[in-house]
Amino acid sequence: MIEKIQALWPEIALFVTACVVMVIGLSPSAAVRRLCGVVTGLGLLAAGALAYTTPAVNPALPGLALYGKAMVAGIGLVLLLLASGTVDREYESFLARGGEGAGGQGRAEYEPLRSTKGEFYAFFLFSLTGLMLTAGATDLVWLFLALELTSLPTYVMVTISSGRDRSMEAGVKYFFLGAMGAATFLYGFAMLYGGTGTTSLGGIANALAAQRAAPGGQINPIAMLGLVLSVVGIGFKIAAVPMHFYTADVYQGASPSVAGFLAFVPKAAGFFALLSLCAAVGWGPTGDTLAEPLRSVLWVMAALTMTVGNALAVVQTSLRRVLAYSSVAHSGYMLVGVIAGPGPAGGGTLMTSGVAAVLFYLLAYGLTNAGSFAVLGCLERVRPDGQAEELDSIEDVRGLCQDRPLLGWALVLSVMSLLGLPPLLGFFAKLPLFGAGLNAGEYALVVVLALNSAVAAFYYLRVAAAAVLEPGQVGRGPVSVRPTTARWRPMAAFVSAAGVVALAIYPVTGWALFGARQGADARSEPAQRAAAEPALPSDPHAASVGATPPAPAE
Amino acid sequence: MLSIPPTLAATDVASYLPVLLLITIVVGFAATNLIASALLGPSRQGDIKAMTYESGMNPVGTARKRFNVRFYLIAMVFLVFDIEIIFLYPWAVTFRNLDPSLSDATVWLGRILFFILTTVVAYIYGYRKGVFRFD
Repeated sequence: MIEKIQALWPEIALFVTACVVMVIGLSPSAAVRRLCGVVTGLGLLAAGALAYTTPAVNPALPGLALYGKAMVAGIGLVLLLLASGTVDREYESFLARGGEGAGGQGRAEYEPLRSTKGEFYAFFLFSLTGLMLTAGATDLVWLFLALELTSLPTYVMVTISSGRDRSMEAGVKYFFLGAMGAATFLYGFAMLYGGTGTTSLGGIANALAAQRAAPGGQINPIAMLGLVLSVVGIGFKIAAVPMHFYTADVYQGASPSVAGFLAFVPKAAGFFALLSLCAAVGWGPTGDTLAEPLRSVLWVMAALTMTVGNALAVVQTSLRRVLAYSSVAHSGYMLVGVIAGPGPAGGGTLMTSGVAAVLFYLLAYGLTNAGSFAVLGCLERVRPDGQAEELDSIEDVRGLCQDRPLLGWALVLSVMSLLGLPPLLGFFAKLPLFGAGLNAGEYALVVVLALNSAVAAFYYLRVAAAAVLEPGQVGRGPVSVRPTTARWRPMAAFVSAAGVVALAIYPVTGWALFGARQGADARSEPAQRAAAEPALPSDPHAASVGATPPAPAE
Repeated sequence: MLSIPPTLAATDVASYLPVLLLITIVVGFAATNLIASALLGPSRQGDIKAMTYESGMNPVGTARKRFNVRFYLIAMVFLVFDIEIIFLYPWAVTFRNLDPSLSDATVWLGRILFFILTTVVAYIYGYRKGVFRFD
């Protein structure tokens, strides 16, 4: 009983911080209200430090909880920089002006009902708490509650992220489709319970292994149906086809800061859940084949998700929709790693272990993606009538490198990293996916992955070309794009751009060593790779050893 | 050898017979009542009988009008405390039966105090939002 609490200190830290933030966000004093972001950051730092106390809770994937929690705390800090100033900026400046414009006379009274600052940061933290809980899930009930704790706050965050109708529409769409996704995987979990007789992931692994070892060697059809339904339902969280329809509308309707949050947090939660479920099934005695119907479902999902995401991204003119569909495509890439599995038992390295590849990709994608959305969030367009609105079209970033070199190059770096251009982080994240896919013998899927990476170059390069090659707009007629007043947001862009470069430098030097060390000390390799970020993909391979079910009786 | 827990798939279809019987009885009971009252009951219609039932009062105006949002806020605060009480009952029943010499008892107490603390936070939040202010 107490052991469970010991595995949860980071979550408790985040939860307590969320409670504090919720209360101080409603303080009558503007100075105290401004502390919200700082307190949230401190909470995340504390959670990141406490993450190292996490014991291995899930025997099938012992490293997942520690890695997941540390990564969430690290990326959470970048997302916090991005999310700062999303809500209440206008209301606070209205108050600071003493209520000019509305009544005009005297001091404007602070009305707690109109303020959403405390809620926004609290929901931000609640969502990250859920994400950490997902990483440490050992039971289906826990997994479901954690996934919902991750998602429910995001519905509200989308809705309050900007005062416009479009974000409310996005929130409603996201909520209803999210409810459908949750219902689907909850139904799947119920079937899984029906087919195995237990809700504990370890128990399910044992039951499924026993079913495969029995004469006939098949997983119980009810359990298999449950697994497939769960995977399809979790597909909503990771925006995989056929549950991807909401992505573009929601990312476009929410403010860029919340869209950046959505692109990482539910996706990470979905992949933690997928890996936990697949680990319960086991990747077979060779460590690279999932049980058959499940593998086919994931295979089709991966291929369709990549292809549909990229094809739809090519035809968009809105930069936010491009990034939304690119996030769909990236989910498809990561699914290749899930299918590939942890590689040969005991001998998996970053280049052969799909699990390690997915975990590293999540880190890389979270960091890179926060940067591209941060650049969008740093700028706003002034309409002819003087109203400011959020940046949307690719046209808006034309000549950005000339007008605002720092932001422009940050955008170019993050987009190039999303594309997977060699010297950048995205390349070193995508390469292991190819390696793991080849190692698992999924040649067709790897070909699809390669073709899609080539297609993706079209729209990423279009964004980069608009920013780099086009002449600057400043000094040519009326300037329509200007920086927003969110002071911390450019920091998110710069941290992300720096991370994209800095995290990539180690692989460049370490790559030569990599092959040599592959055999002997393979397990510490992913840990070293991620050492620049406080995140260790500690040993997903050892996982497979424990999870490998006995070979079916011939 | 791993033990296989009893599962849905392992059970006999015949074991669902009681469920089938119950469904038949439920549907049959509802259908019989509706049909019987339509066939046997007297049918007298009139303006007064067709009027909206308002606990015996004559209805005033339409029911489709806007309510103050405050009612919803109060409903949500009510839910918070309602749920809290629901969780307190099983906790209290279990806590009585814990061995006081075990360190578990302290942990149990600490947990429920933490849980109550979170509802206190909800209360403070509601108070600051002005949910309890009626002016």
